[in-house]
Amino acid sequence: MLIRRKSFLALGAVGASAALLAACSSSDSSSSSDSSDAGGSSDGGGDAPKADANADLVIWADEAKATALKAPAEKWGSENGLKVAVQTVANDLQTSFVTADQAGNGPDIVMGAHDWIGNLVQNGAISTVQLPADAKDTTLSVALDAMQYNGQTYGVPYAVETLVLFANKKLTDTPEPKTFEELVEAGKAGGADAVLSLPVGEQGDAYHMEPLYTSAGGYLFGKDSKGQYDSKDVGVGKEGSIAAAEKMKELGKQGVLKTSITGDNAISLFTDGKAAYLISGPWAIADIKTAKIDFTLSAVPGFEGMDKAVPFAGVNGFYAAAHGKNAGNAQTFLSDVAGTADLAKAMFPKNELPPVNKELQKELAVDNPEMAKVAELAEKNADPMPAIPAMAEVWTPLGQAEANIIGGADPKKTMTSAGKQISSKVS
Amino acid sequence: MTSTKAPGHATRSSTAPGLVLRILLLGAVLAVTVWIVPVMIGQRQWLWLAVTVLAALGIFVLYSTRRLVPGKYIFPGTFFLVVFLIVPIVLTVGYSFTNFGDAKRGTKDEAIASITSNSVQQTANSRRQALSVGVTGGFTASEDPADYTFFFVDPDDHSVREGSSTQAATAADPDSITVTDGRVSAADGFTILTAKQVNEVYGTLKDVGVETSDTTALRPQGTTQAFEGTKTLRYDAASDTITDSISGAVYSVKKVGTSEYFVDADGNRLPQSWLQGVGAANYVRLFTDSSIGSQFLRAFGWTLVFAAGSVLLTFLVGFALALVLNDERLRGRRIYRSVLLMPYAVPGFISLLVWSNFYNRDYGLINQTLHLHLDWFGDPTLAKAAVLLTNLWMGFPYMFIISTGALQSIPKDVLEAARMDGASRLQATLKVVMPLLLVAVSPLLVASFAFNFNNFNAIELLTGGGPFPADQYTRGATDIIISMVYRAAFGGSGADFGFASAMSVALFVLTGILAAVQFRFTARLEDIS
Amino acid sequence: MTTPQHTSRRTAEPTPRRMPLGRWFAEIGWRHLVGFLAVVFAVFPILFVLSASVNPLGTVSSTGIIPKAFSLEHYRTLLSGEKGPFLRWYLNTIIVCVVVSVAQVALSVLASYAFSRFRFTGRRAGMLTLLLIMMFPAILSMIAVYSMISGLGKIAPMLGLDTLPGYIIVMLGGSLGQVWLIKGFFDTVPRELDEAAIIDGASHWQVFSRILLPSLVPILATTLVLSVVGVMSDFLLGSIFLTGDDHKTLAVGLYGMLSGDRSNNLGVFAAGSVMIMVPVIVLYQFLQRYIVGGSTAGAVKG
Repeated sequence: MLIRRKSFLALGAVGASAALLAACSSSDSSSSSDSSDAGGSSDGGGDAPKADANADLVIWADEAKATALKAPAEKWGSENGLKVAVQTVANDLQTSFVTADQAGNGPDIVMGAHDWIGNLVQNGAISTVQLPADAKDTTLSVALDAMQYNGQTYGVPYAVETLVLFANKKLTDTPEPKTFEELVEAGKAGGADAVLSLPVGEQGDAYHMEPLYTSAGGYLFGKDSKGQYDSKDVGVGKEGSIAAAEKMKELGKQGVLKTSITGDNAISLFTDGKAAYLISGPWAIADIKTAKIDFTLSAVPGFEGMDKAVPFAGVNGFYAAAHGKNAGNAQTFLSDVAGTADLAKAMFPKNELPPVNKELQKELAVDNPEMAKVAELAEKNADPMPAIPAMAEVWTPLGQAEANIIGGADPKKTMTSAGKQISSKVS
Repeated sequence: MTSTKAPGHATRSSTAPGLVLRILLLGAVLAVTVWIVPVMIGQRQWLWLAVTVLAALGIFVLYSTRRLVPGKYIFPGTFFLVVFLIVPIVLTVGYSFTNFGDAKRGTKDEAIASITSNSVQQTANSRRQALSVGVTGGFTASEDPADYTFFFVDPDDHSVREGSSTQAATAADPDSITVTDGRVSAADGFTILTAKQVNEVYGTLKDVGVETSDTTALRPQGTTQAFEGTKTLRYDAASDTITDSISGAVYSVKKVGTSEYFVDADGNRLPQSWLQGVGAANYVRLFTDSSIGSQFLRAFGWTLVFAAGSVLLTFLVGFALALVLNDERLRGRRIYRSVLLMPYAVPGFISLLVWSNFYNRDYGLINQTLHLHLDWFGDPTLAKAAVLLTNLWMGFPYMFIISTGALQSIPKDVLEAARMDGASRLQATLKVVMPLLLVAVSPLLVASFAFNFNNFNAIELLTGGGPFPADQYTRGATDIIISMVYRAAFGGSGADFGFASAMSVALFVLTGILAAVQFRFTARLEDIS
Repeated sequence: MTTPQHTSRRTAEPTPRRMPLGRWFAEIGWRHLVGFLAVVFAVFPILFVLSASVNPLGTVSSTGIIPKAFSLEHYRTLLSGEKGPFLRWYLNTIIVCVVVSVAQVALSVLASYAFSRFRFTGRRAGMLTLLLIMMFPAILSMIAVYSMISGLGKIAPMLGLDTLPGYIIVMLGGSLGQVWLIKGFFDTVPRELDEAAIIDGASHWQVFSRILLPSLVPILATTLVLSVVGVMSDFLLGSIFLTGDDHKTLAVGLYGMLSGDRSNNLGVFAAGSVMIMVPVIVLYQFLQRYIVGGSTAGAVKG
């Protein structure tokens, strides 16, 4: 018994020494200098030796973008004699950024989709940026529009995304259907397990459903005389949205849309050759190519005799944090990114997204015609997602309603109730 | 039952090494306190100051006397508990009386600063200027904008201008200035700052405008450039209004809902608001908004069922397995144990993701393997069953391990004695092992209940609270309170921490009532032991 | 516990083979059957994870329980560091787990001793308060904790945000998390044992460390494993506090990959979770010696 107890306590001792080790090793990496004593340097002055103590510019991004940005951003830093730290925030980047910025612990720059802008602005978390005078000539207009909010420019765009239709040539003889009805027919004729892979899920996916929703005449928010979204004019529950709901119910009944296709399996159903068509974005291209699917890519078709399908355009950009410690360097970085496409070009191989810079697009089109095509479709066919904070109230109820309708709920009643829910939250 | 008096330890004297250790400890505490308190005062960290002083006092009171023995054992863990659980709870209660949430995080001053500094419009067709910043004397990181002089070089005509926050831009005297690479690199009487130094004081510089006309000014953009622009929104402290210099609209402070905003005559409001006290408004909303109130109660009901169900299921399965596999004649016990531990060793979020795919109606492993066509996540009852089944998988190893450990710590001779008395294996198990084991694990079951009560991941990562019936957006069929609260606080729609905090506090109170019931239950348990 | 335990060992335990088959099944065999079913239930999702980790496609829908193709590519991806400094995360996780779990078990044991062996005012109220606090939806108070740690970082930078020590001390907030569990086991140790010791002149510390602690070794070892797993799987708190690549734990790092693209990163984080599982299972194997305590106590081999 005694022996056993001793060795068990020895384990505890190992633990304790590991604790000590922890203290040391982490102070090695976290603080450059002296603070091996608990409590750290009290008289060390203002600069807090955090992870980014020595960094002259801290950028937060999600995992995919951070991986791609790291090397180019560090290169920019060394050219300017600055140390750049690119950090990944694992969970909910937008909220984490707002909280951190408010507490004065945030980064100097954050990367994200343009529809964050409304929320970031109302929280006072980002500053305006000034784009070069020739931005209109070098950059897609959809990207410049997306970065505008209440008449101000808040970010520097670098890539654009939109939904497109992918077709597996082996499973359909109509790779670029002109109408949705044609798509359904060709898909069924092809005999694949699933006609179309379009993520719905139990909770719905209003983003992926937007082309169908708009084709049937639905809209989310009306625009006022100045062209700004008017959060008081909610389109959900109005006539067009109900027409869309009826279409969705029908497609649900036919088994074309199903709640069992989710964000988790939508792309892989297509890459595994189980679905004839896929509605997804440029982020799917790399996987489709890896799976060696013989595919084409075209605009998402609308319903026969109805409007054209208008998916959302999402623009990825860089934003300057309002309370960053290195706001000066941040603005310098943003000016450089806005001025040339070098950074976007360097990011491309690790994060293949259609660039917004026209020159770069032409350059990449040679090896990556799909990317150029998506960018073109984004410019011609898509509408930027509304960036107003009221959008936050739309996603959940609208998606939920659409999923329920596809599952068999009454289209009119369900869509109307979603509209009421949204209106009640948007004051 | 043994005596309920405390054992008479306090009367014994300490050993000499013990005394030395104690003095050393107290001395160290005193030294650290004395050293860190001024730092805290310097940083205005009043909360931490209070924590430190109280903790030091506590240590002195507890460990300098021979009395208060239980306190000596409880203090170390309690310290962390108080600092990182109780203090935050108290702060959360505070939040529940505010409008804390998106657009309402900072102070009014911060909102005004954000509004005005984001209103700068770049002058059409103006050119970027190369910027240099100079100070008289050495660089000291002054926070007074007037201490900095700005030098601008035009990229086209190479004209050089200088100015400051108090002095409009004028042509600089070419004799006193050196321009290198299109940028002022030296100026008589000034030290030109490096880009790094400019960055360091950028907080002071960024809102400086060097006037070029009555309406426009040159403003720094980054450390090396400046642009010409106009601040279109200006705040007037005397009238507490913001005026748009282009449209002439005047925004004054008005209440919209429970929060104040800057609102113009037509009722358009500026997006930025600020943190304000709202009294009991969040609670009023919770109890008067019928859709929320009733959903809250229903979620509470399911939370109880979910927590109790999870505990019972995991315990029954885990305990039964422990009993069955605890026969020393059974070969491969160690293998069984190691394998059965595995579900617990997988990080929860990965298990949940994997399981959530298993339940897919058309492509999920369960339906495919068993040739079923159950709509697991579309049907409320099935979804609840799926949640419980998954939680059983994730949790039974815990109960299995604990029960195994417990069985092992039951002295073998107790069992032997029972068997010698002629009891069968089963009888011995039921009459001897079970009661002993229950004494050991009942507190654990209570704790496990508490854990599942807030088992956010089990719901959020598996079903996301769904399925949501048509027309119902607040609560899905599998939502427990915490997942519902989480959506209010962080979820899809804008963050509303104030309201979410009020929900948490209401939940806390409800739980407290439950605990009072529990109190009687544990009282009875104690009588048994 | 002072009784020599080996006397209670059956000297003539019949080996299964010598029993008639029917009796063997009634006594032992059915246990294997139950065990087998439990193993199937426990293992099939894990097989799925294993299979996903060696599936070169790495997607959900192309993965079955039995791998159709085999490739160690995902492990290579992880170890090569192209998705982040995986080995560094591993080290961080070990540091955090060891420190927090040992502290958690130690502090819980101390407090449990007081709660089990002393009668003082506020004892039951204290236990209940503990329970109540555990039931508070802590997710919400994370905002408050965040600003507290932000403040602490200004006083003692090494304890601030985005530092491992800072994360560790926040995790220590759950130090008393095991009190209810351990107290239950304290209560099963007959009180006569410590009363006898006190009469012999032992101090409360001696009673605790020499009499009670040794008899609780199995359950402490168990608790340690459970605590390690609990600490290891935290990602919600971690993803708020740890942003620097070098400061992340495995759970935070892996969750970051997952939130990037759930559909196609499955292979990589399945590989990651296999690598998380392994140390836990090894630890449990190691601690089984202590967990399988009572019957073998005093025996030479474990």
